[in-house]
Amino acid sequence: MIGRFTRAVVTVTALGTLAATAACGVDSGDSSGDGDGTSGAKSKALKVGWSTIYLTPSWMQQTDKMIKDDVAKLKGEGKIADYKVFNANGDTSQQIAQIRAMIQQKYDVILVDAGSSTALNPVVEQAANAGITVVNFDSLVTSEKVVRVGTDQKEWGRMMGQWLGDKLGGKGKIIAFNGPAGVAVSEERWQGAEEALKKYPGIKIAANVHSEYNLAPAAQAFASAYSANPDIDGVFSQGGALSAAALQTLVKQKKKLVPITGENYNGFLKLWQQHGKDGFSSLSTAQPNYLGVIALRAAVAKAGGASVPNQIMVPLPKITDENLTQYVKPDQPDDSYPIQELPQPEIDKLIGK
Amino acid sequence: MTDQPVTERSVPARRAAPGGGAGAGRFGGFLRRNLDVTGLCALLVILLAVYSQYDSELFTPSSITILSAQFLPLILAAMGQSTVMLAGGIDLSLGAVLALAMAVFAVRAEDGVAVAAVLALAAAVSTGVANGVLVAYAGLPPIIVTLAASFLWGGVTLVVLPQPGGSVPSGLVDAYNNGWNGLALPFVVVGVVLLLWKTVRTTRFGLSLYAVGGNEHGAYASGIGTRTVKIGAYGLAGVFVGLAGIGLAIQTGSGDATIGTPYTLNSIAASVLAGVSFFGGVGQMRATVLAALLIGLLTNLLLFTGLSPFYQLIMQGAVLIVAIAVKTFATRERTD
Repeated sequence: MIGRFTRAVVTVTALGTLAATAACGVDSGDSSGDGDGTSGAKSKALKVGWSTIYLTPSWMQQTDKMIKDDVAKLKGEGKIADYKVFNANGDTSQQIAQIRAMIQQKYDVILVDAGSSTALNPVVEQAANAGITVVNFDSLVTSEKVVRVGTDQKEWGRMMGQWLGDKLGGKGKIIAFNGPAGVAVSEERWQGAEEALKKYPGIKIAANVHSEYNLAPAAQAFASAYSANPDIDGVFSQGGALSAAALQTLVKQKKKLVPITGENYNGFLKLWQQHGKDGFSSLSTAQPNYLGVIALRAAVAKAGGASVPNQIMVPLPKITDENLTQYVKPDQPDDSYPIQELPQPEIDKLIGK
Repeated sequence: MTDQPVTERSVPARRAAPGGGAGAGRFGGFLRRNLDVTGLCALLVILLAVYSQYDSELFTPSSITILSAQFLPLILAAMGQSTVMLAGGIDLSLGAVLALAMAVFAVRAEDGVAVAAVLALAAAVSTGVANGVLVAYAGLPPIIVTLAASFLWGGVTLVVLPQPGGSVPSGLVDAYNNGWNGLALPFVVVGVVLLLWKTVRTTRFGLSLYAVGGNEHGAYASGIGTRTVKIGAYGLAGVFVGLAGIGLAIQTGSGDATIGTPYTLNSIAASVLAGVSFFGGVGQMRATVLAALLIGLLTNLLLFTGLSPFYQLIMQGAVLIVAIAVKTFATRERTD
């Protein structure tokens, strides 16, 4: 009997939890207000949502903050009424559900940072067909029916490969240090790099290593590849945390600091600055956080009736031995991505204003 | 809903005394035997009621089509996981195999959907059989075998489809997501698959599945080929998982090697929520379907509530823990 009583109590609690969820939701649902529902007027304040595959990595946190700051400005100008963030937490199926929910809730603008380059195509096209302004940035879908704001990932790889080839004078052994296998960004950067490195037949790729874009797994992956190939002359790395892991390994083992390509990951930039005097050299670029702001501005312009190019390619910044000090932020945590803000006229030019 | 007590447990030794509460009446007895299903149904009704507050078009055909298209892969994946768990195993390679089936289907779909579907299913079933053989003959713990298999099949999937791509005929994608002549295809698939399960359940293999999961030694002693049954269970799970992969490929119109991973844990969560025991032999497939539906609806509902994303995760976890706690208390009493 006691068992049955406990069961009853727990059931009631479960139902209570559910009901509570619902109740909280009703409140915030009401406050957002659906407006008058007439989408005819072009000047009405927009209901904007951002669906992102991840929200926890620091790059995303910074992007989130940048977009929120800009939303505050646009709210002040009466252009945005409501802004919400949806986090799929790495689950692409969940992201599809999110975008569907946003269509049903009649959002005016949907920003998307995609979890898959192909799997979201049907749902973003469905949103676009429903008259919603869909702008995709950072991690891009292949659909051409939505506005896409990004950087050329192949060019990223090409730029790095080219620099490394020149730096090594066209010959030597390198380790290729790539992102996770099967992820479009990682594959594209590597394709670009391979293209550039082909021009230097004297350069041999001793190992091709894959790792998540995180320091801990990257350090392990690099350490094992390096112990098998201690005589390398350079590292093609396609992400900041990967570059930091590689450089750290060389520093710790007191080995020759060979050139390593990189990204604006502050941990790497700090190490680079520290060891620049020991002859360490790099070329880094960045996936700039202001992609999100450009996407937001493009979406607001398009929803307001302006014509916006369907594909907005944002140039990749170049961080070199010379301008490193303008980027590195010694007082900030390793896990941040220092970037100089893009001036408004530049943004306007990109979105075709 | 016409169920003999045998559905609950086919191993007599573990069957609860039929007249637990004296004079509870036939209805009370039915409720007790179907605690999981009735509980889940009640939760589902509440959830749907709340949901319809946010989405007034919930019960229209187009909404039902869209939602069933969205939930089908999880429902099928959960059925696969439940099949393995009923036989006393667990499948950590489920997400990887799902992605493999998805990749195979997406890569071959242009040359003919039927052939692609057969190939995808064959791939999924053979991975299941391979898992089953390792578990049954090598005597390795399922958790280790399937964990290793998840890396293995993840790698194979990348060979098949190194980066997201492939394509599914757009007519099929449209029919699946938006209905075919007003018919919600995914809904039909769930019905057909449940019917298939119902048929399998009544066969000798189906009964043996519960018996092996409930008491392997007892089952062996009473002349059941426990190894064959285990291999069969993993193979059958492969059918469900393969169908889930095909469904996901059709839903998204493409293949993506990395999309399957979350399905492993989500399918386990759905199975546990449905009352399928980690120790095997206990559980009903109807409950699994309901539980998968509940998880899908709950996450969707949280999207509508406008809670901040991190609180949504907290709520999702809290609801799951509470629901599973209910289940644990319920089974604890039963096995006393």
